[in-house]
Amino acid sequence: MSHFTKTPKAAALVLLSSFVFALPVMAEQAKNQSSFQLPAYEQLKLDNGLTVFLLPQHEVPLITVQATVRAGAVNDKVAGLAQLTSQALLLGAGGKSKAQIEQMVDFLGASLNSDGSMEGSSLRADFMAKDTEQMLAVFHQVLTQPAFDATEFYKLKARQVAAVAQAKESPRMVMDQYFNKLVFGAHPYGNAVSGTAASLQSISQLQVKNFHQSYYQPNNTAISIVGDFKAEVMKAQLQKLFASWKNGAAVQQPDLTAALPKAEKAKVLLVNKADAIETTFSIGGIAIKQDNPDYVGISVVNTVLGGRFTSWLNDELRVNSGLTYGAGSGFDRYSASGTFNIGSFTKTESTQAAVDLALKTYQRLWDKGIDQATLDSAKAYVKGQFPPRFETNTALAGLLGDMYLYGFNQDYINSFQSKVDQLTVAESKRLINSYFPKDQLQFVLIGKAEAIKDIAKTYGEVKQVEITADSF
Amino acid sequence: MKLKQSALALMLGLVISSAQATEAKDIQSFTLKNGMKILVLEDASIPNANSYLFWKVGSRNEYPGITGISHFFEHMMFNGAKKYGPKMFDQTMEAAGGANNAYTTEDLTVYTNWFPANALETIFDLEADRIGHLDINAKMVESERGVVTSERSTGLENSNFRTIQEALKGVAFLAHPYSWSVIGHESDIKAWTLDDLKRYHKTYYAPNNAVMVVAGDVKLAEVKKLAEQYFAPIPSQPEPEAVRTVEPEQKGERRVYVQKASVTSPNLLLGFHIPASSSPDYYALDLLNSILSQGNSSRLYQGLVDKELAVDVFSYLPMSFDPNLFYMMAIANPGVKAADLETALIGVINKVAKEGVSQDELEKAKNQKLMQFYREMETINGKADIIGTYELYFGSYQKLFDAPKNYQKVTPADIQRVAQSYLKKSNRTVAVLDSAEDKDL
Repeated sequence: MSHFTKTPKAAALVLLSSFVFALPVMAEQAKNQSSFQLPAYEQLKLDNGLTVFLLPQHEVPLITVQATVRAGAVNDKVAGLAQLTSQALLLGAGGKSKAQIEQMVDFLGASLNSDGSMEGSSLRADFMAKDTEQMLAVFHQVLTQPAFDATEFYKLKARQVAAVAQAKESPRMVMDQYFNKLVFGAHPYGNAVSGTAASLQSISQLQVKNFHQSYYQPNNTAISIVGDFKAEVMKAQLQKLFASWKNGAAVQQPDLTAALPKAEKAKVLLVNKADAIETTFSIGGIAIKQDNPDYVGISVVNTVLGGRFTSWLNDELRVNSGLTYGAGSGFDRYSASGTFNIGSFTKTESTQAAVDLALKTYQRLWDKGIDQATLDSAKAYVKGQFPPRFETNTALAGLLGDMYLYGFNQDYINSFQSKVDQLTVAESKRLINSYFPKDQLQFVLIGKAEAIKDIAKTYGEVKQVEITADSF
Repeated sequence: MKLKQSALALMLGLVISSAQATEAKDIQSFTLKNGMKILVLEDASIPNANSYLFWKVGSRNEYPGITGISHFFEHMMFNGAKKYGPKMFDQTMEAAGGANNAYTTEDLTVYTNWFPANALETIFDLEADRIGHLDINAKMVESERGVVTSERSTGLENSNFRTIQEALKGVAFLAHPYSWSVIGHESDIKAWTLDDLKRYHKTYYAPNNAVMVVAGDVKLAEVKKLAEQYFAPIPSQPEPEAVRTVEPEQKGERRVYVQKASVTSPNLLLGFHIPASSSPDYYALDLLNSILSQGNSSRLYQGLVDKELAVDVFSYLPMSFDPNLFYMMAIANPGVKAADLETALIGVINKVAKEGVSQDELEKAKNQKLMQFYREMETINGKADIIGTYELYFGSYQKLFDAPKNYQKVTPADIQRVAQSYLKKSNRTVAVLDSAEDKDL
């Protein structure tokens, strides 16, 4: 709430969305020297193939339940279909209208949210433990029997069409979609998760229904439930609600390992925003996938480069030169590939100075590498900052959902600290040479094209688009 | 809605009924001889801890010529002191596994540290050094001006709310320092002097002007010992001068228009003068805030978004030392004119004043408050933040534990009364942000 009038020291590092996930699921840290362990949870599979995770937590009398469905923008036949389907779940279900469900949920002080991302869709409810029965019932109906009411669907579509245009009022909101499109092109990872105004406009109620039928099936879904409950009681409740949920036609998933592009030359996507007062930029390329065995070490190296306040990028671009309020870097990982990028922003006149300094600083990974003291500091930092990441029911439910989506388990969490501890200076060199894109870098610059187009040319082959154009 | 009674009962018995929830008696406090007050919450749920240092200084302590200096000062606190020189504050903290941030509001400047519990002494050492011996270096000031100018620009580039709120405040307040944005005027950011900064530090960064909250896997005795060792030697200073200016009563609607070419549909922001958070009306206003905009069953969503006049709405009631504004914002559907959106928004507000709210609506808002309270109490960070917030804005952290009772006491008649008293035309400022130039037809 109060963030509206707060001006924080380093909000930018957090706001650049991809960096939030720079250290996502991996865990570690612990009571001083002992190693962090994920709290005990139970995983089971119902007869219909539905995966269930139960993790009791009793700090506050709250519960989070999340359904994670293996369907996202990679499954889109029309851009935005997966996300729109997830949003359309909330338009009424089980004989209750959208308004009736909202009344009931709001009255309990609870919330019900849905979203679609690149490879997964989710439905999440947060509520007080005393309201479990009512909230689970509505959660079950919304997930398995959404009505996709025609009037409400039309209104939702209109809101989303407007939202796509509004997102483009803020370069930071749309940077990732431009970057993904630039590096992945026609591959499904280049799909715009939000869709475009025209693509959303074209989506019919029937397409959404079909998408739901094709992917929202028990054998393609996990339910993670975290909070103030007794596992045995909860298991029985879930069994009763979800055992009769039936699978339909076999789920078809695209082969995401096929036709992954490779950067052949340096390219610049110059996005013209005529009234821009600054240039927002992103530099990088295709990088690692979710299950990369070296990820923990890579994230420590990235911490040194652009994952914390004293990182090289923030130190150079902000602290030493005053060119920007924040600079950083991070990896976004998907099941079959991923991206690495450096991101920052600076006033239009200092665009070249900032981009050049970002590149020069990045080059330090190879020219000088990481010394022992810096590595030790980064290792302490990632360990020390870990435990608060999994402090809430919502965060733990999200983690369990990711385990289902990407196929990892608690070993990944529980071995995190020892993997951090094992990282040496020599190993950091290998990680830099293996995983950080060095050549044929890809650039997105969002700003006033007239003022920066000549600068853009110096970094690679330029393609210029208007931010107001209905595409990415 | 048969669960109404149990929700109510739970609300009333909130602190006692929840097995592991924090209670007032879990919070311990002591005051050093130099006047610094420290609150401690022992909580070993994770092997981490945090500290919040609240300084009673914000943009309300500024005047034209030094607007934005409170926030700029927040940045300078990271730029070097006696023992830990430039960059060493962050380097030392991060090497110990800690992270930090800070923020400035109209009333406060707040420094937050999150760290493994075993780094507690390092945190005290770092904080004491910059409180007692900050080195305000001329070169660092110049570089930091660039950082803050970029922070200001990136806010305006990426956030329509920033742009429109800055314009609205400038019109809604004629006299009081809430008139300017926390980040300040661009010309002031470029102009304040080394002396301005030195004076600011001496006046406001005195231990008697601060409250510290430490929450996490720590022991009171340990915190006390470190506070005595590191903070007690820092001398107190004379009490800073009170903010004298009182905003005169608004006697008629005020309006402001801002053009931004890339805006795709009109943004509308209303601001109504309301009393300080210490007013007994705070709880009714806060519940009215929820009734207006929390959840899709709220008045504004139903009256504007569901009717396809707006794509997004929210309302915002800041906590505040002095009388401030209650904000309501709506972003128009494409094709909807600002004037039509304004009529509809005001219609929704006036309906509350005229007809009041139902008992069910009020119960809903109370349940939403309870849920929000639990979510704050789920993390050590939320706990430290909310304990400090109540200590600062309501005079005592104890008030946090009176809040359920204070919310519970509010009746539908109270909601209607505050809507009638404050949400009226003569007390309103209207701001419109749109793409077209403001010109005569």
